[in-house]
Amino acid sequence: MKNIRKVLPLILALILSLILVGCGGDTKPAAPKAEAPKAAATQKLKIALVLPSTIDDMAWAQSMYEAVKKIQSQSKDGIELAISERMGKPVDAGAAIRQYATQGFDIIIAHGAQYQSVVSEIAKEFPKVTFAYGTGFQTGPNIFAYDPQAQEGAYVMGILAAKMSKSKIVGIVGPVEAGDAIKYNKGFQMGVAAAGGDVKTRIAYTGSFNEIVKAGEIAKTHMDAGADFLTGSSQQAVGAIKAVAGKPGIYWLSTDMDQSKVAPDAVLASQVYNWEKVLTKIIDLRKANTLGGQHLTLSFADGMLELKYNPKLEAKIPADVKAVIEKTKKDIAAGTLKIDLKK
Amino acid sequence: MADFIDQGILIGVVATGIRLATPYLLAALGEMLSQRSGVFNLGLEGIMLMGAFTGFYVTFISQSPMLGLAAAILVGGLMGLLMAFVSVTLQAEQGISGIGLSMLGWGLSGLFFRLYVDGIQTIAGLKPWKIPFLSEIPLLGLMFFNHNVIVYFAFLMVPIFWFVLFRTTWGLSVRAVGMTPQAVDTLGVSVTRIRYQCLIIGGMMSGLAGATLTVANTHMFADNITAGRGFIAIALVYFGRWSPWGILAGSLLFSMADSFQLWVQVLGINFPYELAVMLPYIVTIIALMVSYGRVWPPAALGKPYERGVRG
Repeated sequence: MKNIRKVLPLILALILSLILVGCGGDTKPAAPKAEAPKAAATQKLKIALVLPSTIDDMAWAQSMYEAVKKIQSQSKDGIELAISERMGKPVDAGAAIRQYATQGFDIIIAHGAQYQSVVSEIAKEFPKVTFAYGTGFQTGPNIFAYDPQAQEGAYVMGILAAKMSKSKIVGIVGPVEAGDAIKYNKGFQMGVAAAGGDVKTRIAYTGSFNEIVKAGEIAKTHMDAGADFLTGSSQQAVGAIKAVAGKPGIYWLSTDMDQSKVAPDAVLASQVYNWEKVLTKIIDLRKANTLGGQHLTLSFADGMLELKYNPKLEAKIPADVKAVIEKTKKDIAAGTLKIDLKK
Repeated sequence: MADFIDQGILIGVVATGIRLATPYLLAALGEMLSQRSGVFNLGLEGIMLMGAFTGFYVTFISQSPMLGLAAAILVGGLMGLLMAFVSVTLQAEQGISGIGLSMLGWGLSGLFFRLYVDGIQTIAGLKPWKIPFLSEIPLLGLMFFNHNVIVYFAFLMVPIFWFVLFRTTWGLSVRAVGMTPQAVDTLGVSVTRIRYQCLIIGGMMSGLAGATLTVANTHMFADNITAGRGFIAIALVYFGRWSPWGILAGSLLFSMADSFQLWVQVLGINFPYELAVMLPYIVTIIALMVSYGRVWPPAALGKPYERGVRG
């Protein structure tokens, strides 16, 4: 019996490690792949992607993942791609970023505002590696900061919500008052105010980016309190969308990516980030020996920001409201309408 | 009119609070039983995640929420069995093996979700079940008797756990095993068997707690959907001083404060949201500070038992 006690932990450890190896799947975590022949490695571009949640979160992380995948499939020389998911904590992300840098990756994308300080710290030690992170604006000699102008689409959707709301109450399900969310929420509130008609915006935060259950509860509370248009950013939003789904006459407005698949009868429109264009720009700049130092915005003006209606529900939007929205979009793109968040 | 709105808010705060309390209550009652028998299971978070995934997945393929809940309870029990094997039979350090179990549950649930489910999916899930007559009482009906069945089950478990623990022979054995396992062993009661039973029941409760989040609350699964609820449930066991009534009070206090702060935010009452989000934790800490009296944790908590060796 004594012997069994000694052997069993080993067997358990073996099973566990096998399971962990299985976990790797096709997503390739931070496991070193330095065995590849050096000659080939110099030709292939090596991109690493560090994500706060998962590649199938139907939001922030998935939108970036899909863009990188598309670029990989269209690339002529081929791209070697490595992904680290579930790096919600900047310390974990820092470890992954450092590992990718030492393994000779060319471009390391840390997809989150929370990675700003770890990126700026590590980038100094690896001057030949290009780092990119966002939402942010502080750059470095080898750091690109990408910066979706979330307030632009939010402003337009604020007008949409205010014009269509019957209860005159719209609700925002907020994550944390930081980065992207501030821009998005403020822009939305300003859009509602600009539309006139005495519509109230109510806002509540979960205090987290991935509290799916709490986001759902906030959405329910908003609806109990009378809201008939809801919106909100970050990956936890899917929980809120699910709460809105199946409530006739109540709609959700999405951001980050087209989330109409989550609830085809509730998501009326989405603000979509065109990450492909940003990434293509970063890759081209690197090829031209610009390793960083640029603050890249995604906006209506440069076509990297889009407003997509859900085709199934598009007919519900009155023609005059649509006309106002299209005009507002044009004014923002032309620069005649500026959304000043400092107000 | 103003009167009506106030009533609506009151109903909202209480009904949401009860809904939020359910997973904590289930998981904490199960954990209390494990700890009463002398094993603290830090793997609750992992068990809840496995329960959340299993409940979601089985409901997804079978279209039957009840089948989903049953499967979640089964998987929770199996996870409890694994914890019992590692901590009771192999006598591993309980804290470490619990954290291991947490990570295992997180990893496995995420992996299975990716392998067997194509992205975010919706399930029919549980609908509220109005208790006849009781749900028609004005005010109270909507607060207490308009919930899904797991909510009623969870609150029913409080007196049942109390009765089993303090009024049955088996309950006496459990408490004795947690206090002085040597004494129980000399009387011919198997310490190992009792601890296995408690951990398995505890696991089943946690599995159901996890399934509550997917099958009843959100009707979906996503990676790490529990978001730390398992660890809060463990804290509530300490808050409730290993008593079912104490755990009921703790779960309700924490969840009502949480539901209250959600309403404060939604109604646009001028209050910094950072403080609002902290409110449930602050209230719970204050309640711990002002409540006095000696705490008697199970004396053998955390100590593996081996016959003939002084623990």
